[in-house]
Amino acid sequence: MSIEIRNIGKRFGDFVALDDINLNIPTGELVALLGPSGCGKTTLLRIIAGMESADSGQVLFAGEDATHLHARDRNVGFVFQHYALFRHMSVFENVAFGLRVKPRALRPTEADIRRRVNELLQLVQLDWLSDRYPSQLSGGQRQRIALARALAVEPRVLLLDEPFGALDTKVRKELRRWLRRLHDDMHISSVFVTHDQEEALEVADRVVVMNHGKIEQIGSPDAVYTNPASPFVYQFLGNVNVFHSRVHGTWADIGRASAGEAPGGEAMAFVRPHDIEIERFPVIGSLEATVQEVHAVGPVVRIELAHASELIEAELSRERATVLALVRGQQVWLKPRQLRVFATPEAVLEEGGSGI
Amino acid sequence: MFVTAAYRRQVLPGFGLSLGCTLVYLSLLILLPLSGLAFKASNLTLGEFWAIASGERAMASYRVTFGASVLAATINAVFGLIVAWVLVRYSFPGKRAIDALVDLPFALPTAVAGITLATLYAGNGWIGKHLEPWGIKVAFTPVGIVVALTFIGLPFVVRTLQPVIEDIEPEVEEAAASLGASRLQTFTRVLLPGIFPALLTGFTLAFSRSIGEYGSVIFIAGNMPLISEITPLLIISKLEQYDVIGATALAVVMLLISFVLLLSVNALQWWAANRHSGHGGRGAGRGA
Repeated sequence: MSIEIRNIGKRFGDFVALDDINLNIPTGELVALLGPSGCGKTTLLRIIAGMESADSGQVLFAGEDATHLHARDRNVGFVFQHYALFRHMSVFENVAFGLRVKPRALRPTEADIRRRVNELLQLVQLDWLSDRYPSQLSGGQRQRIALARALAVEPRVLLLDEPFGALDTKVRKELRRWLRRLHDDMHISSVFVTHDQEEALEVADRVVVMNHGKIEQIGSPDAVYTNPASPFVYQFLGNVNVFHSRVHGTWADIGRASAGEAPGGEAMAFVRPHDIEIERFPVIGSLEATVQEVHAVGPVVRIELAHASELIEAELSRERATVLALVRGQQVWLKPRQLRVFATPEAVLEEGGSGI
Repeated sequence: MFVTAAYRRQVLPGFGLSLGCTLVYLSLLILLPLSGLAFKASNLTLGEFWAIASGERAMASYRVTFGASVLAATINAVFGLIVAWVLVRYSFPGKRAIDALVDLPFALPTAVAGITLATLYAGNGWIGKHLEPWGIKVAFTPVGIVVALTFIGLPFVVRTLQPVIEDIEPEVEEAAASLGASRLQTFTRVLLPGIFPALLTGFTLAFSRSIGEYGSVIFIAGNMPLISEITPLLIISKLEQYDVIGATALAVVMLLISFVLLLSVNALQWWAANRHSGHGGRGAGRGA
């Protein structure tokens, strides 16, 4: 079922949590709301679920206005970061809860409930735990049970609030892939909130990057990573080097290196660490720098360089690093393979240097 | 396990000393007086004991004492739950004052409470004069006893429930709502089972307090033999007539009944607390 969000606004006192948000989520899509904490992503999710009311704007489910519908009538499945399982109920009863509280006329028979719950427990591969209580499960198991519980009522929309935030890295990666498969099998629309860019880029069909209660960019994971629409998105998704520069005409100068077309005045150039080419001899348009540190991290070699007083991060493949044989204190020349220039907005000025 | 804990070197020091202290303290404070009671009562033959313990006046006083206590504790369980819920869940002006008010029955001398309640509920009192036309008499009847015991027992229920209610994550309620549960279903199926063991504890505390209550009750009860006379009063009046043996016999009966009741409530409580954590102990029930 499609979800449409129209001009949603929400304030908590003086704090603007959401500022005129518009978003369309077509049926069957898995969308990630990505942003730093306090950006309003969870508030938006809770408004979609009906657990928070918006100050203004509308939420539409399949074209129908659901703005004032109570959470229990929205037929959404909600998965919480800290699972929110019912402690005093067995795993089986947790999953069966949504079916048992249905009005008598709609309630399935006991046999049907049993069958449906067992199906769901098999789906989450935990049918062998049905008699246990939540306190006896691991975090990953609890979250899968929470998901099965949410799916029991056959929701039209699945909403997940930082579903893997409380789990360790290995379990998180496993569950991510598993969620993706599950979403594809269930044919429902899903929205999940995360502050982990890797998670969003790996799992989602579309990523909605949010900051300060506004949507910064909406696009496919590939699009938001390779083609960020704003300095914020550039900095939030992956590591990036920021060069403050003066723009002469259409050329942005960074030291002696110049590239790209840019608006006049103060500007910032963004270059990803893996887009920096390192040469041992000066080439045209290159930037002089000194090697500070060389870290070999798995398949890549991370190099910290200093240009004037600014720190620059570069990433090389192992082969390339072997050829260059860089040592600390060495003089090298840098050339960006790809960079993007933005006019310097006031808000970004405070976050100078190389951002993450 | 007890033996290994005592003999092996432990990370936490002082096990021997602190256990010794505990045992001596409890013996001096509780075990010694109680065994003295039993010892005194053992001067009676079983027949004599039975004759005193099952006398008409005694039987009536048990009924009044335990009946009124159960009733008062039940009333407190219901309203104490509401009070605790309001104090934990909502914020409103004057909340701290109300929170402090709850403790007042702890601090107030019980005689003062008894006299105050008796004055209020007497036929010409502020509350009593409005109840009189309806034919409801509170002061100097068993109903008065229930009122006094309810007053005494309230803080026990509220203070036991508060931390447990604070522990309930609001998310659990939201989860229930998103699964389609109504408010009533959320309360009865999700919230109440979690609170229930604590509610039982509060009930037990209020109940045990009520059984032993003397000061507030004698002022409001009217103390008519067979109607509104509580067992503690009967014990006192026997003592005043230098019938120490008779008083002891009644005390032993009260002790036994209280003990059995408390034990069964404790068993119920243990069952309620443990059935949801599989075979684990109390600690296991609190994960996540």
